[in-house]
Amino acid sequence: MGGKNTMVESRRPWMAWVYLAPAILLLLVFTVWPIINTFRMAFLVGYRGLEAVQGKTFPFGFGNFTKVIQFQDFLNCLRNTTLLCVITVPLSTFLALLISVCLNSIKTLQKGLQTIFFLPYVTNSIAIGMVFAAMFNIVGSAHGTSNQIIITAGIVNNIITFFGGEPVNWINSGSTYLANMTVMVIYIVWNALPFKILILLGGLQSVNKQYYDAARVDGTSRRRIFTRITVPLLSPMIAYVVITGFIGGFKEYTSIVGVFGEKMGPANDQGRLNTMVGFIYDALENNHQGRASAAALILFGIILVVTLINLQVSKRRVHY
Amino acid sequence: MAETFNTMQEKDMGSVVSRQKVIAVLAKVLVYAFLILMAVIVLFPFYWMINSSLKPLEEYRLPIPTFWPHKLLLSNYVNAFNTAKLGRLFLNTLYVGVVSTLLSLVITILSAFAFARLEFKGKNVLFAGLLATMMIPGELFTITNYMTVTRLNWLNTYTVLIVPFLVSVFYIYLLRQNFLQIPDELYLAAKVDGTSDFKYLCKVMIPLSLPTLISITILKMMGAWNSYIWPRLVANKDPLNNGGHRLITNGLRNAFTQTTGEVNYPEQMAAVALVSAPLFLVFVFLRKYIMKGVSRSGIKG
Amino acid sequence: MKKALLLVSVLFLIALTSAFCGGTAESAAASAFEVPEGGYDGSEVTLTFYHTMGANLNTVLDEYIAEFNQLFPNIHIKWEQVGGYDDVKNQISTEIPAGNQPNLAYCYPDHVAMYNLAGAVATLDNLIASQIPVTHADGTTEILGLTEEQKADFIEGYYNEGCQFGDGLMYTMPFSKSTEVLYYNKTFFDEHNLKVPTTWDEMEEVCAKIKEIAPNSIPLGYDSEANWFITMCEQYNSPYTSATGDHYLFDNATNREFIKRFRQWYQNGWMTTQTLLGSYTSGLFTSTNETVSYMSIGSSAGATYQRPAAGADGKYPFEVGIATIPQVSDANRKVISQGPSICIFNKDNPQEVVASWLFVKYLTTSVEFQAAFSMASGYVPVLKSVTDNEIYADFIAQADYGKYITALSTKVCLEQQDAYYTSPAFNGSSTARDEVGALLTKCLTIPEGSDVDAQIAAAFKLAIQKCEYND
Repeated sequence: MGGKNTMVESRRPWMAWVYLAPAILLLLVFTVWPIINTFRMAFLVGYRGLEAVQGKTFPFGFGNFTKVIQFQDFLNCLRNTTLLCVITVPLSTFLALLISVCLNSIKTLQKGLQTIFFLPYVTNSIAIGMVFAAMFNIVGSAHGTSNQIIITAGIVNNIITFFGGEPVNWINSGSTYLANMTVMVIYIVWNALPFKILILLGGLQSVNKQYYDAARVDGTSRRRIFTRITVPLLSPMIAYVVITGFIGGFKEYTSIVGVFGEKMGPANDQGRLNTMVGFIYDALENNHQGRASAAALILFGIILVVTLINLQVSKRRVHY
Repeated sequence: MAETFNTMQEKDMGSVVSRQKVIAVLAKVLVYAFLILMAVIVLFPFYWMINSSLKPLEEYRLPIPTFWPHKLLLSNYVNAFNTAKLGRLFLNTLYVGVVSTLLSLVITILSAFAFARLEFKGKNVLFAGLLATMMIPGELFTITNYMTVTRLNWLNTYTVLIVPFLVSVFYIYLLRQNFLQIPDELYLAAKVDGTSDFKYLCKVMIPLSLPTLISITILKMMGAWNSYIWPRLVANKDPLNNGGHRLITNGLRNAFTQTTGEVNYPEQMAAVALVSAPLFLVFVFLRKYIMKGVSRSGIKG
Repeated sequence: MKKALLLVSVLFLIALTSAFCGGTAESAAASAFEVPEGGYDGSEVTLTFYHTMGANLNTVLDEYIAEFNQLFPNIHIKWEQVGGYDDVKNQISTEIPAGNQPNLAYCYPDHVAMYNLAGAVATLDNLIASQIPVTHADGTTEILGLTEEQKADFIEGYYNEGCQFGDGLMYTMPFSKSTEVLYYNKTFFDEHNLKVPTTWDEMEEVCAKIKEIAPNSIPLGYDSEANWFITMCEQYNSPYTSATGDHYLFDNATNREFIKRFRQWYQNGWMTTQTLLGSYTSGLFTSTNETVSYMSIGSSAGATYQRPAAGADGKYPFEVGIATIPQVSDANRKVISQGPSICIFNKDNPQEVVASWLFVKYLTTSVEFQAAFSMASGYVPVLKSVTDNEIYADFIAQADYGKYITALSTKVCLEQQDAYYTSPAFNGSSTARDEVGALLTKCLTIPEGSDVDAQIAAAFKLAIQKCEYND
C-alpha cells in the first residue's frame, strides 16, 4: 500500500480524524448502518416498516428467505437475470475482443473508430432504451391473433420486411419471451461494448511488440498468434471485464426499464422480464423491507460466489 | 475471418512474399469492413433517434421509413421540451449534479489526503474496511437508506438526492493512489518550510492531481445525470406541483407513458435527444478525461 | 484483501447479533379517536390536504375553502395535488413512518387498509356522534357531529363504505362518486340500426355485427381490466375476495369461464383494453382515422374524453351515447362504485384532527359544494338532496350527446345507483386488484393453438400466489 517509511509523524495525529470526519460520518449512516440493518431486517420474519412504526415485534428466523425463494416470481427474476448474464457477458466480451484486436491492427481511422465505439458509454441507459424500444416497436392491435391489425412497424421490422421477412412482434403485447430477450440481449451487449473495448484495447496497446515480432519471424499463423499470444497476454484484462461484467449483469435493471418501462415486460405480461434488482425494489415499494433485505442478501451471495468462481478460474488461466 | 488465418500456412518460399502481400491487403480490407459495420451498428440508434426526432408523426409512421426526413420538423423539440417539462427537470438535475459534485470532491480530497499523507492509528484497517464495502451491491444499502431518509424527513428534497451518495470509496481510493505518486520529498520540503498540511494539500497536491479530479468530476456529474433508481424512490414528485424535485431521467421515462392517445414517437425521440445532448457535449470536449477515468473505474457514473 | 475479508466477517457477526435482539417491544393498538373536551377550541391550525383534482376542480375547491374560512378563519387549508390515486397512497405510506403525513387525503378503501397497518387513520365515530357546539366566526353555532338529517341525506351505500374495514369503525367519508358506463358511437349505431347492448350476450352479437360492417375496427374498448374482472365476479355472483378468512377467492370455474369467453372476443378482434392498446381506449373511440372502436367502457367522470374533437364549425364528428354497462342478468345488476373518499390522519395535536373533521364535514354535507363539484367534474354527488338543487337540476336537464355530455353521464349514473357495489377492503386488496387486472390481460392474449384452459388455469394460480405473497 505505498507510503514507504518517509511518512512524517504529525504533531497532531488527531488531525487525520478531522480530515476523515465527513467521510466517516456519512459512511456510518449510509453504508455501515445499512449493512447491519439489512441483516437485522432479513432475519426478522415478515418485517414491515409500517408495522414496525406501530411497535409490532417480529420473530427471528429464516422466514423471509424461505418465503422469497418459494415465490415463483422470484425464480422468474433469478432466471431472467442469470440468462441475461450468461448470454451477454461472453457475447459482449468476445465481440469487444474482436473489435479491439481489429482496432489495434490498423492505423488510419483508429482514433476515430475508437471514439465511435466508446459513444454508447456516455448515454443514459433509460433514454437510449427508449430509442431501442422505438426501433423494435410494432404498432397495431390484437397482436398474435388472426385479426391483428398492424398500423406501423419500427425500423427493425421495416428492415425485416424489406428483405422479405415477416414483421416480428418484439416488445409489444402478445410478443414472445424469446423475442423480448433477443431485444434485451442486443441492447445490453450494445451498452456493454464500450467499456470492454476501452479496457481491452488499452491492454493490447501496452502489450510488448516484441512478442509479435518474434512470432512473425517464426511464421506463426495469425490464429495461433491470437490464441497463443494475444489472449494470454490480455488475460488479466479479459478476467477484469468478465468479472465486472458479471457483477454488473446481476444488477441489470435500468436497461429493461428503458426498453419496457417500469412494468418490466410487454403490456400483456407485466413483470415478465423483471430482474433481481427489480424484485428487491418491488418488495421495498410494497413495504416488505424484511423480504427486500433477504432478496438483497441472496443477490449479494450470488454475486460473491460468482466473483469467487471467476477469480478461481482466472487464477488458473490468467497469465501475469 | 477464419479463412484468412488458415490460408496463411504456406510452404513455397518463392510465392510466399507476394501471396502474403495479397493476403495482408485482403485481411486489412476485411478488418476495416468489420470495424465499419460494427461502427454503423453502434451509431445506428443515435442516427435513428435524430432522424425520428425531426419527422412529423405522419412521416414517422410511413410503412417504408425515410432515412432522412422529407420535412424537417424542429417543433418536435419544442413540444418535447414542454410535454416532458424538461426545463425544470434540467435545472433540478444540474443543481443536484453541481452541489453533490462539489461536496463530494471536498470530502474525497480530505479523506484521500488523510490516507495518503497522514499517519494515524488504525489507518490500514480502516482503509481495508472501506475497500471491503465496495464489494457490496448498492441495492443492499438502498433499503435502509430509504428508511433512514424517511425518518429524517428528507423525502422530496434536494438533500435526499445529494447527501446519501457523497462519499464514494472508489474515488477516495483513486485519488489516494494519485496522491501517493507525488514524491515524498515535496512534502518533506514543505514541512521543513513550516507549511501546514492543509496548505500543502491546496498548493501542491490538488494542482498535481488535477487530471484525476477532473475525471472524478465528470463521472460524478454523469452519475447525477443518469441516476434513476434512487431518485425514483425518494423524490419523484412532479415538478409542476409545488416544486417537485424529480430528475431528468425519471421525468423522461414517465413523460410519455401517462399521456392519453398514441405515443408520439418523434416527440419522444426529440426528448431523448435533448437529454442525451449534454452528455455528448461533455464527451466531445473532455473525451480524454472520461476515458481515462472510466478505464480505471469500471463503473458507470 | 485478507483484512478486508476479516472486516466483512466481523460486520456479519455484529449484524447477526443485532438481528437476534432486534425488534422493538412497545405496542400501540389502533384505538378510536377521542374528541377532546370542548371540541374545536378555535385555535390556529394549518391542514394539508392531498388530492388528485385537476386544475378546473381546484378552482371549485378554492372557492369553497374561502367559504369555509368565513366560518372558521383560523383553519387554514393547504392542498397539494399529488399525481394520481396511487401516487397519493405511495407518498403517504412513506410519510407515515416519519410522522409527517398530511391531515386529509383522497383515499380508496385499499389505501386506508394500508395506512391502518400503522394505525394512522383517525376513526370518525366519536366525531360524528359528538354533540359539542362549535362557534362560527359570525357567532352562530353548529354541533361538531352530524345531525340525523345530515346523516340521512347521504346515499346510504356511499356512507357505509366508510365502515367496511372489519372492525365496524368509520374511517372515511364519501367525497364524490363515479362508475363505469358504456359510451357508444350513437351516429354509427343509428345508421346501422344497432341495438345498444344491455347484456354481455347482446354485446357479443353487436361486436360480431360491427366487425362485419367495419372489418378494420375493434368494436369495443374496455379501459380498466381490473374493473372488468371484478365487475364480472359481482355480476355472476362468484367469489372475488373476502375481507376475512381466506382473502383471495377468485380462482374458480365461473371466473375462468368468463375469461375464456372474453379471450375469444379478443382473438376475434372484437375488443381491446387500455393496457393492450397502450393508451386509454377513449383515444380509439374518438379517433376519426385508421382503426376506430364504436364502443368504449370507461369512467363516467371521463365523459369529455370520450367525445371526439369538435370540427371548425363547432360540431362533433359523431354523437356519443351513454348507457349502463352490459349485465349478466337483469336480476343481479352490478356496476362498480368508484371515486375518492376522504380520510383524516391522526396527529399529535387533536385540534388538527377536529379541524380536519370540520372541513370534511363541510365539503361532504354542503349541497352547494357537492353540486358545483359534480358539475365541474362529472362525478356524482354523495348527497340525495343535490338533485333537488335548482341549478343542478337545470344542469342535468340539458344533457345531450355532445356539448353537455357530462350531464348525460351524470344522469346515467344517477339512474343506476341501486346497482353500485364495492369490493372488500383489507390489507392486500389493492394487490388483488392489480393482479386480476394483469391476469385478465394476460389471458386475453393466450395465442391460438396452445392449451388455452391449461394456460388460463396456470395464470390464475400464479395470480393467487402473487396475492398471497404480497399479503
